[in-house]
Amino acid sequence: MDQHIKKVYVPMTETAFFILLCLRKPNHGYGIVQMVEKMTGGAIKLTPGTMYGSLSKMEKDKVIYLVREENKRKIYQITDLGLEVLDIEINRVERLYKIMREEMRNGN
Amino acid sequence: METKKQFKWYTIFEYEKEQDYLRNMHRSGWKFVKVKGLGVYSFEKCVPQDVVYQLDYNKEGLSHKDEYLKMFDDCGWEYIQNYGGYSYFRKAVATDGAAEEIFCDEESRLEMMRRVLKGRMLPLLLIFFAALVPMFIINLSNHDYLNVVCIGSVLVLYTVVFVMCFVKFRRYKTRINK
Repeated sequence: MDQHIKKVYVPMTETAFFILLCLRKPNHGYGIVQMVEKMTGGAIKLTPGTMYGSLSKMEKDKVIYLVREENKRKIYQITDLGLEVLDIEINRVERLYKIMREEMRNGN
Repeated sequence: METKKQFKWYTIFEYEKEQDYLRNMHRSGWKFVKVKGLGVYSFEKCVPQDVVYQLDYNKEGLSHKDEYLKMFDDCGWEYIQNYGGYSYFRKAVATDGAAEEIFCDEESRLEMMRRVLKGRMLPLLLIFFAALVPMFIINLSNHDYLNVVCIGSVLVLYTVVFVMCFVKFRRYKTRINK
């Protein structure tokens, strides 16, 4: 994995995390916005400026790729590199969560 | 339909001020129609309403305009026009009073500022160093002091704008990295 990918995606922003998580199946930007809103019970609403910028940046970084275009919507999917960084992020978040639970239980 | 025009001049990084201006106009019953020329804003009379205005600067988006605008349209943003590389969008504030924005994290806000810097500042810097500075030096060595004063003031104005932009950008960047 090159330095740039490491710098940007390890760790990654919440937006990038949700995009990669959703794109394990092909989807378009607005589809991701709707999925994330549903997943988080409306707590996180991704916005079009952020989505458009992130998707084109992530496509350039080759963590996602363009599958096809449908009704003026670009449909993307995660790449192997994307899966790799998503996996690292999932492990990081899991580790954080475990540490947090442990610390809370010890009453610190 | 009653209309009115106002002249406003915003420097490169003042899009937030511009957004507030358009929102305030709409709130006082003047709906933004278009901007053209050096900054002539046209409005038409409307029912006062709280409508958020947002500017995006995305050349890549403009070169794929259909799907770029589709994304905003899907999310409920009305596209108004493109002006100097900026795309103008608006959306009425929801009944629960939540004002939305087109960016939802600091990274993407900073990314837009970078695109503005690259798209708007680089050409200006080029003019600055390739034309203004040499012209200034030539006139100075020819003792053509009227020209020296004229070009000199433009140089000073330019420098002030540059410094202001970079200070704002730096400040924003440090705020994010904290």
